[in-house]
Amino acid sequence: MKKVKTSFKVNGKYVELELEPRRLLVSVLREDLGLTGTHNACDTTNCGACTILVDGKAVKSCTMLGVQANGKEILTIEGLTKEGDLHPLQKAFIEKQGLQCGFCTPGMIMSSFWMLSQNRDFSDEEIKRMLSGNLCRCTGYNGIVESIKYAKDLMRKKGGE
Amino acid sequence: MSESKLLVRGAGKYVDDIKLPNMLYMAVARSPHARARLLSVKGGLNHSDLKAIVGGGGEGWAGPTNPAMAHPVFAMDTVNYVGQPVAAVFAEDRYEAEDKLDEVEAEYEKLKPIMTIDEALSGEPLHAGTKSNVIMQRWLGADFEDPSSAVVLEDEFSVARIVNNPLETRGLIADYDGSNLTVYISTQAVFGIKAGLTSTLKLDPSKVRVIQADTGGAFGSKSALYPEYIMAAYAAIKYKRPVKWIESRSEHLAASQPGRGVRGKMKIFADKDGKVTGWRGEVLVDAGAFGGSAGSMSPFFIGMQLTGPYGIEKAHVLATSVMTNKPPQGPYRGAGRPEAAFFRERMMDLLADELKMEADEVRLINTTTENFKSPLGLEIEASRPFFTKAVSDLKYREKSQSDKAGLGFFVLLSAIWGGESARIDVQDGKVNVWLGGNQHGQEHYVFVKKLLNEELGIPQDKVTLNHGDTGMLKDGVGSWGSRSAVVGGAAIIAAARKLKKQVENKEGNYTIENLLKSNYSSEVYENQNVQLNSFGAVLATVKIDKFGMVKVTECAGCYDVGRALNPKMIESQIIGGTIQGIGQVLYEEVVHDTEGKLLTKNLFDAGLPIAENMPKFTIQIVEHPSKMPHHARGLGEAPTIGVPVAVVRAIERVSGKRMRHTPVKPQELIV
Repeated sequence: MKKVKTSFKVNGKYVELELEPRRLLVSVLREDLGLTGTHNACDTTNCGACTILVDGKAVKSCTMLGVQANGKEILTIEGLTKEGDLHPLQKAFIEKQGLQCGFCTPGMIMSSFWMLSQNRDFSDEEIKRMLSGNLCRCTGYNGIVESIKYAKDLMRKKGGE
Repeated sequence: MSESKLLVRGAGKYVDDIKLPNMLYMAVARSPHARARLLSVKGGLNHSDLKAIVGGGGEGWAGPTNPAMAHPVFAMDTVNYVGQPVAAVFAEDRYEAEDKLDEVEAEYEKLKPIMTIDEALSGEPLHAGTKSNVIMQRWLGADFEDPSSAVVLEDEFSVARIVNNPLETRGLIADYDGSNLTVYISTQAVFGIKAGLTSTLKLDPSKVRVIQADTGGAFGSKSALYPEYIMAAYAAIKYKRPVKWIESRSEHLAASQPGRGVRGKMKIFADKDGKVTGWRGEVLVDAGAFGGSAGSMSPFFIGMQLTGPYGIEKAHVLATSVMTNKPPQGPYRGAGRPEAAFFRERMMDLLADELKMEADEVRLINTTTENFKSPLGLEIEASRPFFTKAVSDLKYREKSQSDKAGLGFFVLLSAIWGGESARIDVQDGKVNVWLGGNQHGQEHYVFVKKLLNEELGIPQDKVTLNHGDTGMLKDGVGSWGSRSAVVGGAAIIAAARKLKKQVENKEGNYTIENLLKSNYSSEVYENQNVQLNSFGAVLATVKIDKFGMVKVTECAGCYDVGRALNPKMIESQIIGGTIQGIGQVLYEEVVHDTEGKLLTKNLFDAGLPIAENMPKFTIQIVEHPSKMPHHARGLGEAPTIGVPVAVVRAIERVSGKRMRHTPVKPQELIV
């Protein structure tokens, strides 16, 4: 199959790849770039385990072809940890039991990251609504909602310092 | 299993994250028919390469009652469910492997499938060499003369099949170096996988090592040995290259082993005051296309739990499982316990309505004040003290009046039989631990660190709980059936005490300094041959709109955990299990049409609950110590037992319609 030259920025780093056009972005991230934190769990855009940010928006990376990332700026779960320091969302997910098996967690955190990047307050109902594209089979979601609220507090405190 | 601090960074190592040099990817060609003769198959690896039946292993494995019922690795003369593996192809990459499926040519002659329990009972046998489609049939308890009771009630119930659907599907890598086979796998039980692989492929057990990768949930679906695992191991040996297989979601929906799928016919006798004087029952399990997996054991297991937390003196139950043209039944969180509770508590509610008693009243009169062994074989402790407290803590009467709340009372029978193993190594001041059962989201490392700290004073940051690994322990069981904190915890304590003796023998006395300054190793296998139960009670309230859509508004639960070893995880397990219980009642089902085609195509169809389905949660933890050295009791499955019962009752009370099955669909509730 003919390959197509594709280049994009991922977690601040510029990458250039030769890609089969049919390859999904999630496969490219995981297999070509070794960014295995982004998970593939359903193939049908139901579960959100593969959620990443593309030009600042939360996107399920199994709905996008790798070649469609050309010229875009991508952020994956690996890009949230800065010099070994966990992002407040990552701290909050540990503290408020936002995970059990951890498989949906990177996608949950990336969706939540987008929400927190909106710089406004969300009600509990809005948080739940926002999470409707991300499935978790273990936690029953309560810990995830609590984690997002707690992360917001942590970020506010940090901002106020 | 990596700890949460790694998982939140996406730094876990699930099996699909592992890449070995020169690795092949496997894809599996599957039957498109529910029942057909397989006239020929060409391409890939198929039964002309390997004629074998799937050997044993894992939760509920009892072996087929007749070898003719066994699941072949590759389909041989017939296929018996949509999704049954027929051939396997291999390529350098996953996309190419999928492409190669086109090269498999299979010719079928379609046969009329058997899709229901009734068809299975009356129809011709699915498998040549068997006389009927019955896998097992057994009476439990003893026959009795019908009591001259005031009330006799009969009803029939059913619980539909549900696919486990952990977010991570099944998967493994098999790696063969010319002499030794190493398997990395997403599993609940490395030892069961090893036993199954070695028996099926006739391998020398000393040359097979099974290592658990981080495991992204399981809920019962990752303890069994599946045909795909054998194919991958066989191919790795044949091609002398590592072979990876990662299940797609559509394969998981079609060909993993779903749970539930049970019918119950109940008849009870009771006095005017609500005291049940006799229980007759019939349990019928739709075990799917082959014997050997959970279906060989689940009817018995459901049957023996039918009297639950009540002191019912007379009971007689016929437990049967039959084969249909669906994938084999497996355990799904609760694995028979939720079915037994559903049948029993539905009857208790029927009795309450018949006698115009409150739901708690009719239950209370049937509780016991002493230890009790039921005629069906279930041993319970006195249930009255717990029930009395739970009903009051849950404010049942108040919420019954104000919101038509539903109530469920149950006993969780932990699968502690078989015990568990543990190994503790001390080297260079660090403590490494292995358990025979393998965590997949339950944070076993928390109780391991806590118990080692209590027993030996080891600082928690010195302890690492490693992945399940048959190379590091002589034997082990697995993580299922609400057992791990109970039996794994007991094994850790025994291994710790053995370690302490070693230190005392060497140094004269035990101190943490003496332990950490030398190297030690201690391994135990702690067997348990008692029944260990925990009680639970759940209250639920619902709202139903004019379109029949149900919203569970509150789920309150009272659970006896013996001793809370990891309170945050206990809460998370209860909430997660509650959502699964709600899923069973309102959304989840795997559906085949009358021709056996799978209609449940993706996670949306499968009905996994979403965040907006969450009710308000209220959780009460009771710590009534068990006889285990650390006093723990099982918990993991408890909410999936109690929640459906309470939610269904609440729906019944609000809608005014008698509820006899799950899931309850909106069209049934439209006024």
